[in-house]
Amino acid sequence: MQPQFSKAEAANAPEGAILHDDATAKWFLVSSVAYFFIVGIIAVIIAAKFVWPDLMGTMSWLTYGRLRPLHVNGMLFGWLLAADMGLAYYVIPRLCGVKLWSEKLGLATAALWNVIILGAVVTLLAGVNQGWEYAELPWYLDVLVVVAWIMFGINIFMTVANRKYQAMYVTIWYTMGCILWTAFVYLTGNFATLFATGTNQANLNWMYVHNAVGLIFTPIGLAIAYYFIPRASNTPLHSHKLSMVGFWSLAFVYVWTGAHHMLHGPISQWLQTISIAFSLMLLIPVWAVVYNLFATMKGQWHQLRESVPLKFLMSGVVFYLLTCFQGPMHSLRTVNAIVSKTDWIPGHAHMAVLGCFSFFAIAGTYYAVPRIWNKALHSDSLANWSYWMLMIGGLGFFTTLWLGGFWQGWQWNNVSIPFIDTVIALKPIWIVRFVSGLMMFTGIVLFAYNILATALGNPEEAAV
Amino acid sequence: MPATDYTYPSVYFAYLFFTLSFLLAIYFFIRSRKDGYWGDQAEDAKYQIFEEDESHRRTP
Repeated sequence: MQPQFSKAEAANAPEGAILHDDATAKWFLVSSVAYFFIVGIIAVIIAAKFVWPDLMGTMSWLTYGRLRPLHVNGMLFGWLLAADMGLAYYVIPRLCGVKLWSEKLGLATAALWNVIILGAVVTLLAGVNQGWEYAELPWYLDVLVVVAWIMFGINIFMTVANRKYQAMYVTIWYTMGCILWTAFVYLTGNFATLFATGTNQANLNWMYVHNAVGLIFTPIGLAIAYYFIPRASNTPLHSHKLSMVGFWSLAFVYVWTGAHHMLHGPISQWLQTISIAFSLMLLIPVWAVVYNLFATMKGQWHQLRESVPLKFLMSGVVFYLLTCFQGPMHSLRTVNAIVSKTDWIPGHAHMAVLGCFSFFAIAGTYYAVPRIWNKALHSDSLANWSYWMLMIGGLGFFTTLWLGGFWQGWQWNNVSIPFIDTVIALKPIWIVRFVSGLMMFTGIVLFAYNILATALGNPEEAAV
Repeated sequence: MPATDYTYPSVYFAYLFFTLSFLLAIYFFIRSRKDGYWGDQAEDAKYQIFEEDESHRRTP
C-alpha cells in the first residue's frame, strides 16, 4: 500500500506535527470492507432460502445450517469488529497526540485477524462448529482470537500510556473498556461455556451472546460515534461529564442482562427478575448517550445535507435509541411471552448490529479512508446512494421482521394453530425480507466499491 | 455428579470474571473522580479532539 504522506508533504508539515503512518488502520479497513461485501452475498442467499428452501439443493456446504453461522460470524468479526479495530487504530493515536505504539505489531494483528476469518470461512462451511450462538468457531480459532486481541490490546494501551494529554477523551475510555470487557466476555463465552452442562451452560452462553453486543460492539461503536460526530460536524461534544455517566452506567449495568434471553425458561425466577431489572436500567446509559449526541448536533443539523458520514452517524444514533428501547421492553415477561424466539428477535438484532453499529463503522470508514490515503472520496454520489439503499432496505427489513415476529408470536400462543401453518403464513414476510436484503446488499456493494476505489484508485484522482 | 462434569468450576470461573470486572470498575470509577473527570475541569477533554493538526495535508 502507498504511504499516506509523500516526502514533500512530510517536509511541508509544520514543526512538531505528527505524521501518522496508519498502515494498520488501512489493512484492517480494507479487509473488513471486503468481508462486508463477501458475507453480504451469504446474507442474501440465506434470506432467499427462507423464500425458496430448496435453493442450492442439498449440497451440505451450502445448506442453511452452515451458511447462517458463517453470515453471523463473518459480519460480526470479519466486518464489524475488524472495521472497529481499524478505526480504533486511526482514532486513538490522534486522540493521544502520539503515533501508534507499534505499526509492526498492528500489521501482525491484521494478518492474524485475516487468518482467523479465512479459517472461519473454511471450518464453518465444512460443518466444524461448536454449536453455540456467536461461539461457533472451533477452539483453535478461539485461541487465535485471544492472541490477536491481546496484541490489539497491548498496542492500544501502550499508545494511551504514551499519550501527550493527561485527560482522556471518552472515546479512549470506551475503547479501553471494550478491550477489557471483551477479554472477559470472550473467554467465558468460548471456553467456560464448553465445560458447563444443562441450564448453566445455556445461561453462560446467553450471557456471552448478549454481552457480545453490549460489552464488545456497544463500547467500541460508541467510541467511534463519540469521535466522528464532533469531528464530522466540527462541533465539540455537548457534555464530557454526561458521556462519563453513560460509560460508567454501562459498565455497572450491562453484564447482568443476558439471562433475559431465558425468560419463561428453566432458570430460577430470581435470576430472571434480576435480568429484567438490569435490562430496564439500561435506559440510563442509553439516554445519556443519545441526549449527548443529539445535543451536540443542536444548530448543526443542516450539515446532514452535505455530509454522508453524519447521515450514517445520526441515523445510527436514532437506531441505537430504538433498539435500546426495544431491548428493555421485550425483556418484560408479558412482552417476552409473545416475541421471544420469533422473527422479532433478528429484526431487533439487525437494527443493533447493522442499523446502529455498522452505520457508525461505515461513517467512520467514509470519514477516515480519504484522509489516511490523502485522496478525495471516489464518489460522493455513490456514497449518498449507499446510505439511502442501506437506510430504506434496513427499515424494510427491521419493520417487516417486527411485524412478522409479533404475528408469529400470537400464532404460537394459540395452541389450535399447527406449527407448520405458522411457517406457511410467514412467507409474505420473508419475501419482503429478501427484497429489503437485496436493497441493503446493493448499499453494501456501493459502499465497498467506493471505499476500495478510493483506496486503490490512481493518485491522479486525488483532490487538491 | 459425573467425573467429567465441569459445570461448577466453569460457573465459578465466570463468577471470578464477574468479580474481577466489578472490582476493576469500582477501582477505575474512584480513580476517575480523583483524576478530575467529574470536577470543574471535566469538559477540557472534549476539546482535545480538535487539537490534532493535520491541516498541512490536502483536505479530501
